[in-house]
Amino acid sequence: MKLWVVFLKTLREFRRDVLVLVLSVIFAPLFVVFYWAITAGGSTTYAVLVANQDQGALQTDGSRLNGGSEVVGAIQKLVYADGQAMMKVEMVADRAAGEPRLKDHSAALLLVIPADFSRTLASTGGGNAKSAAGSPVTFVGDLTNPAYAVAGILVNAALEETIQAATGQQRPVQVTEEALGASGARTEFENYVPGLLIFAVIMLIFLTAMTVAREVEGGTLRRLQLARLPAADLLGGISLAMLLIGVLSVVITFGVASLLGFHSQGPLWVAVLVGGMTCLSVIGAGLLVAAFSRSVAQAFVIANFPLALFMFFSGVIYPLKPLVLGTVAGRAISLYDLLPATHGVAALNKVLVLGDGLGQVGYELISLLILSAVYFALGAFFFQRRHLNLGG
Amino acid sequence: MPEIALKIDRLTKCYGSLVAVHDLSLEICAGEVFGFLGPNGAGKTTAIRMMCGLLKPNAGRVLVLGVDIASDPSACLRVGVCPQEIVLWSKLTCLEQLVYAGQLYGLSAAKARSRAVGLLGDLDLAKKKDQLPQSLSGGMQRRLNLALALVHDPETVVLDEPEAGLDPQSRVRVREYIRSLARRKTVVLTTHNMDEADRVADRVAIIDHGELLALGAPEDLKRSRGEGDVIEIGLKSPADSDRAQMALSSLALAGRAEIHCADGALVVRALNAVQLLPRILEVLTAEGIPQGEVRLRENTLEDVFIQLTGKRLRE
Repeated sequence: MKLWVVFLKTLREFRRDVLVLVLSVIFAPLFVVFYWAITAGGSTTYAVLVANQDQGALQTDGSRLNGGSEVVGAIQKLVYADGQAMMKVEMVADRAAGEPRLKDHSAALLLVIPADFSRTLASTGGGNAKSAAGSPVTFVGDLTNPAYAVAGILVNAALEETIQAATGQQRPVQVTEEALGASGARTEFENYVPGLLIFAVIMLIFLTAMTVAREVEGGTLRRLQLARLPAADLLGGISLAMLLIGVLSVVITFGVASLLGFHSQGPLWVAVLVGGMTCLSVIGAGLLVAAFSRSVAQAFVIANFPLALFMFFSGVIYPLKPLVLGTVAGRAISLYDLLPATHGVAALNKVLVLGDGLGQVGYELISLLILSAVYFALGAFFFQRRHLNLGG
Repeated sequence: MPEIALKIDRLTKCYGSLVAVHDLSLEICAGEVFGFLGPNGAGKTTAIRMMCGLLKPNAGRVLVLGVDIASDPSACLRVGVCPQEIVLWSKLTCLEQLVYAGQLYGLSAAKARSRAVGLLGDLDLAKKKDQLPQSLSGGMQRRLNLALALVHDPETVVLDEPEAGLDPQSRVRVREYIRSLARRKTVVLTTHNMDEADRVADRVAIIDHGELLALGAPEDLKRSRGEGDVIEIGLKSPADSDRAQMALSSLALAGRAEIHCADGALVVRALNAVQLLPRILEVLTAEGIPQGEVRLRENTLEDVFIQLTGKRLRE
């Protein structure tokens, strides 16, 4: 079977191109290690600056209230499910002392507690709802810094909790938070892993396009034509080798992530299956790139275009508002659904984070299957037309 | 009647308004070495690509051992092609290249390996079998290029400029190998080296502007085309020059015969002059004209080629 011969030859070539093979395989595992280091193996601890100017106040029962200190204590008590602190509090004298830290992003938020904070709380306590309005508590931060938004929500929660405890005033409506699946028990590092797994797969677009383009550029494609090698055997053999490398990278990425504390909530084999299916689609896209490339350098440049689409519009980096094209069988189909990475990320999130099984990722798997078929068909069609055309 | 290994029947290929090959017909017999000559842009490569099924003609057909390759493309597998450019897989060793190519042509792994080992031996590459192409010299790479055309043991081999870029030793080795092939296979050779074609080819075709200009054995073409042979016979006495010219005018010199005297020598230029040399000397001796040094320059295939295709430089 000639497809198998091409497959073995492609693997043999990669064995001699160790640097390319190793870099391709360890690309995603390296990112896992980087993210593990960034999150200290768990979740991000946000640096919060507090300028506590509160002077305290005597309460009606004669006890002293230090509301500012209690807020700081409440912030410090915020922990993730694994006990890791959410906030690292640093005290600063005033706003001027904290602002440089906000500008260089070494701190996410500056909380300024005014001098009359406790006095305001004391005057509001004991059911005295008609308190005098005190000076405001101020949140200072760079609103373009994503860490500010997270820190702001958490600090606000701690502040609310302190105010309620000090004043005895309850919210008229209670709010409870319920984690979807096992998401509440996940560390930030674990939440990154599905997206990083897609990195292992997306890079195949380069590897596939450049491997095929090497045959075109080197003229060896003519030899294959002379041997009447069907395009399907050539592209199939190369794709099979790429699939093997992709799945190997996915498995190594899982292994490294697991060693660093990652736990899959759902069955791992389903996640590997999703990774493999995503590999197929990305390889198909790589063939499409190769069809329009006459050299390895050209393939590299062209592959950047779909790579950017896959990275930025599939939800790997951040979720996007869907651009709905229409509805199929009651399900809205968005423009991003044409990108295999979209379904890969969605399915991996379901399996790894929410603990779903094969039955819950059927839609994504079918989508990946269809996209793989479409990309392969387009890749083979254009490759035949542009590189194997006998019409001259 | 010799078997026809490759038949080209009224082949035409156009690229827009450019006619690359026009109504070209050739019959190449089994076991012969056939030279396919033409200047750059003459249509050789286009014709070769159509012969081996890499290009579809606009009109005409190609038959490999009687089988039309349009109706049965697998017939092309009976033709091996060695391109002018060295085309190798950079990450495969010499042996792996040949085994891979053999398997693509449908040989079993064992058979492909056996053929590969044999070819590496035949082309003095056995010691390099586990080396990658970049570690080979240019001559070795070209020999490996040639081996790749032969690994599936085709009946017909098309060699495009097989001696290009070779040092004299490799050139001799490749030429010997082509001659050895000729006993077993049909060899179609394209080259700009007229000496090479003259020495190796049984017949040559000269094409230009996609059309066949001449076809025949090199010796026949040299006898019938070109400027002709040139004989210079030194005359001991310049006074004999008129008498010598008169004496030779009675000889039957074919084609554009030209006899004149220059610098004390009798110059005879004619297509068949070399063959007539003994008769010329005999006539001069009979006339009592004493002769000095005799210099001879035979008509070459290059003379024929230049006469047919002109001296204008091609792109």
